[in-house]
Amino acid sequence: MIMVPKDELMKSDRQVAMVFDLNKCVGCQTCSVACKVLWMRDEGMDYQWWCTVNTQPGRGHPRDYENMGGGYRDGVPFPGIRPTREEWGGGWDFNYDEVFYSGKGPSVYLKPLGEPPTWGPNWDEDQGGGEYPNSFFFYLPRLCNHCTRPICIEACPRNAMYKRKEDGIVLRDETRCRGYQFCLEACPYKKVYFNYVKKVSQHCILCYPRIEKGVAPACARQCPGRLVFVGYLDDKNGPIHKLVNEWEVALPLHPEYGTIPNMFYIPPLAPYRLNDDGSIDESTPRIPIEYLERLFGSRVNKALDILKAEMAKARRKEQSELMDMLIVYKWRELFKPFDRDPAELQWK
Amino acid sequence: MLAKKVALDSKTLLDPASPEWEKVPAETINMGGTPLASQPSRYIRTAWADRPIGKVRFLDVRAAHNGKDLLFHLEWRDESRDADYSGRGFPDGAGVLFPLNGDAPLASMGSEEAAVNAWFWQADEPEAARNVRAQGIGTVEDTEKSRIVARSEWKDGTWRLVLSRPLAVADQKGETVQVAAGGSTKVAFAVWEGGSGERAGIKAFSKQWRELTLEG
Repeated sequence: MIMVPKDELMKSDRQVAMVFDLNKCVGCQTCSVACKVLWMRDEGMDYQWWCTVNTQPGRGHPRDYENMGGGYRDGVPFPGIRPTREEWGGGWDFNYDEVFYSGKGPSVYLKPLGEPPTWGPNWDEDQGGGEYPNSFFFYLPRLCNHCTRPICIEACPRNAMYKRKEDGIVLRDETRCRGYQFCLEACPYKKVYFNYVKKVSQHCILCYPRIEKGVAPACARQCPGRLVFVGYLDDKNGPIHKLVNEWEVALPLHPEYGTIPNMFYIPPLAPYRLNDDGSIDESTPRIPIEYLERLFGSRVNKALDILKAEMAKARRKEQSELMDMLIVYKWRELFKPFDRDPAELQWK
Repeated sequence: MLAKKVALDSKTLLDPASPEWEKVPAETINMGGTPLASQPSRYIRTAWADRPIGKVRFLDVRAAHNGKDLLFHLEWRDESRDADYSGRGFPDGAGVLFPLNGDAPLASMGSEEAAVNAWFWQADEPEAARNVRAQGIGTVEDTEKSRIVARSEWKDGTWRLVLSRPLAVADQKGETVQVAAGGSTKVAFAVWEGGSGERAGIKAFSKQWRELTLEG
């Protein structure tokens, strides 16, 4: 068995990318559930959520993943730790039999079996930050970023992970994986999971069987908020290229991790702050800019200014290409060329 | 190293605490950590640059056969019993390595031309041991069959492990070392201290091949 050179495994000719407009996400979790029911029904996948939507500010999933290292710093691999099972949380079995069939009536209620849970995929939902009446939060959907410098692929001593040439999707060969979990340590976003039953790593596969048939990933297609764009990063006519490279309002999460992610976010505008006397303070957004800079880097300032300027244009009834793109009048235009209806497909 | 011929049934010998093993002379092997430079990814080399590799420094090995099975009794000190993946560590492990062709290099886990065979045990599957085959670092594969049986005991900071395999495995030629009474083979050992994050190529190993002779 010949070991393919590492940089061959990490390169691709094209890249499928996604843009999430955080101004539209209401945290409905349709995306995370769509992914979950499609892919995570095998043994050992009970606690896995390849797509999660967490409230920010928040500790995320796994808990405090931003303090677990991984990624690169100044081009050098930055050692990370892998999450413990407790830091992932979730995967609970519930006492359905007791509630439905034991005849104990309302004296029992639905709850997880075993030890009381201490964390889960969306544990600190809606807690957010700030003090009333200036509390604030927004939702952040996260999945594997299918990075352009995927350190997970670099880390694996068995070359069990690789990036597809035709679309840049990062995949793994579960028959090559022996559960060493260097990928979990190395991923700075902690979006690789470990199957404790099969003893292999698992992660978001960007619905590649759907992509191959021209269908958008389940998370994107099922989003009722029309906030997920899917397309090739190099398609100059598509919204991904325009939002990321031309308008530059779509930003990577934690760019300082150095892996060059391909999932992008349009940062959230915030309501104005309220003064003690109840008047509105239009000069300060409720989401502190320092917090957004921590997540998206200093480019977030310009992105927010552009969004505000284009929104003002639209209010003045002037034409705004950006607003037209972000409003998404026609739902299918979110996904070109992956706008095929999955119901049309015949799987052999 | 001699695999002493003993007139005992395999069931008795499989017990790591059996007093019969005390009659088999032990060889204490000095173990050393695998070199950092041979770790096959930049991430691993960076992450382990300042960490000691190969926590277990001494391994007591007793080898025996009863004409039917070849058995190794391994004993090493390990303060923590690590047997699962749920924390930050990994299961403790041990392995016995043999060349499948005479000149297989040890440090690189064999080569394309010369394969190696390992009997590989991990504490999360205490009575199963895998038969693996490798042709270089990063190429370890489980063979379809494994006739290796394991019994283990961790007590008072010490692991005792017995690995046993039938002498006759002619149907696994090319996949596992062929041995017979009176014959010999090279052998090497490895131990993983899982609590310290040791797994894959991060391990203590016996640094060089030893000649193992099966008493005729």
